[in-house]
Amino acid sequence: MNLQRTFKMALKSISANKGRSFLTMLGIIIGVAAVIALVSLVKGQQNAILAEFRKMGTNQIQVDYHIWNGADVDYTDELYAYCDSLGSDVVLGISPQIYANGNNEVRYRDKKAEYPNVYLVSDQYTICSGFTINRGRDLCYMDVKRMNKVCLLGSKVADDLFNYENPVGKSITLGGESYTVIGTYASKGVSQEQGGSYYDNIVVVPYTLQSRINKSEYSYSSNHTYIVKAASSEAMSEATRKLNEFFEIRGVSQNGYYGVYANDEYMNYQMEGLAEQGIFLGIIAGIALLVGGIGIMNIMLVTVTERTKEIGIRKAIGAPRRVIITQFLIESSLLSAMGGLLGILLGYGITPVLGKVLPDYASLGVVIMPAPFIVVVSFFVSIAFGIGFGVYPAMRASSLQPVDALRSE
Amino acid sequence: MCRYMAERTTAGAVSSEPLIELRDVYKIYGEGLESEVRALDGVNLRIMRGEYVAIIGSSGSGKSTMMNILGCLDLPTYGDYYLDGELVSSLGDSELSEIRNRQIGFIFQGFNLISELTALENVELPLDYQGVFVANKRARAIEALEKVGMGGRLNHHSNEMSGGQQQRVAIARAIVTNPPLILADEPTGNLDSKTTADVISILRGLHAAGATVVLITHDREIARNADRTVRVLDGRIVHDSAVDGKEDI
Repeated sequence: MNLQRTFKMALKSISANKGRSFLTMLGIIIGVAAVIALVSLVKGQQNAILAEFRKMGTNQIQVDYHIWNGADVDYTDELYAYCDSLGSDVVLGISPQIYANGNNEVRYRDKKAEYPNVYLVSDQYTICSGFTINRGRDLCYMDVKRMNKVCLLGSKVADDLFNYENPVGKSITLGGESYTVIGTYASKGVSQEQGGSYYDNIVVVPYTLQSRINKSEYSYSSNHTYIVKAASSEAMSEATRKLNEFFEIRGVSQNGYYGVYANDEYMNYQMEGLAEQGIFLGIIAGIALLVGGIGIMNIMLVTVTERTKEIGIRKAIGAPRRVIITQFLIESSLLSAMGGLLGILLGYGITPVLGKVLPDYASLGVVIMPAPFIVVVSFFVSIAFGIGFGVYPAMRASSLQPVDALRSE
Repeated sequence: MCRYMAERTTAGAVSSEPLIELRDVYKIYGEGLESEVRALDGVNLRIMRGEYVAIIGSSGSGKSTMMNILGCLDLPTYGDYYLDGELVSSLGDSELSEIRNRQIGFIFQGFNLISELTALENVELPLDYQGVFVANKRARAIEALEKVGMGGRLNHHSNEMSGGQQQRVAIARAIVTNPPLILADEPTGNLDSKTTADVISILRGLHAAGATVVLITHDREIARNADRTVRVLDGRIVHDSAVDGKEDI
């Protein structure tokens, strides 16, 4: 058999009926483009949300505990030592993150910050929270140890109070007491959908000042919350397991409660939701592709009927069945491969356009391009459909009796 | 499958071993029905290697059915067909394809060239199905086309050739595999008298070169060229010049 000539014949046959061939391909073109566009949009959304979560801070574990009966136990020092002992390949840092729920009005001269979140933290908070210092300096160990009345401002608070002035070294009042600003955090740049400037509307002060800020007995004893930074996403499960162990050994679940929450759980939950959505949409679009494949089978049956005479001639001069089958399979797969390629072009055209037009994706503010893996997958699926749906017509062609086939005109 | 590659006998000589043997061959359509048709009704026929036989009969006599069975395009309902000692009527589809490819060269009334292919490609086609090395294939196809005087039209398509030229290309396709049996079904039916004479002389030449030629025709003039005539009527052989002596046709 001569493969080169078989391809040439198939191309000739396809181009001899250009209009018909194009209409047949249209099903595959639309199917492939739909698969590419829908899956890529979901993939783009996933990437955008993932990037947002990265900005908020990755590999964080929230820890809190509470002891019943008012018998307050402070594990802070023990937790510090424990996290230290786990090593820097598991845990990078730990800091209390206590919400100041007393009078936390923040002022600079005549300006008042808009309801900032005031947190009582340690010198490892910057590492744990994923903030970066853009002006001044970070909290240091001595600030915490000596209960220095200093603070760091989130970018929203810094903008509200100081406008274009440099806040470093200035004094602000928090709950009526004076604090010196030692530095400011750069904005996390989280999008509006995921909370926006909420993350930047913070003031942090050394946690050792807790008794000055959270004055009521109740709030003082109930606030044991920490933020732990795991070394990597792989270390997350190890770190959470170890932290659970810490509280179990101390029997906290018997006389109180504790919680260890990995913050990637919510992210994973959202990602899984999107992945399911992607699969669902992919299957819907795949049905369009399937219908396209049936269109190819239909037109191949017509082609076999039209070319019965030729099949008869080929069989008469000794073409075995497999040669006839191969000939028609090459034609049908060529038809679907061409459809697949055109579908990829269309997919590349419409994916960014849909990403701009559809509100769900436009709000992400990124240009969504086709994901390479789905381009490759949909191309090979379209060829597979061409072969799969070509089998029946090809078998029919090959099983024609030469004497009957020759008689036809 | 070397045993199919039958050696040719010396020019024009008739051998004593049969190339074709039909034993009680029946081809019945709609058997048992009221509309039953016996296209072949108990045919016995032996054709030796190197013979030049014309099978004659009017339309509907069963000669086309006989041609289809001799050419392995169709199988008999009953009876045995031996081609070169092989019981063809028991073979499967792929073996039949191989026999058609290597043992038989077909020449049809309607030429049956594939119009999308050039003359050269049409002639190469039977070799394609044998998987012959490409350079050799091209050379053999050109040689076959030169033998029928079509060496100058290798790249023409059938719509660029006259009927006579198309039939010559078809003959080149039939002989390119060196088959021991040439089966010609009304080869001159669509040709004028000038080209008919050309085609008949090519067939004579092939016979002279050692091929067994079986010609099916209703034309007495054409049949006269053959060494032996077999007349078919209502699915039976009614006269065979090898048995009954020369018939006055």
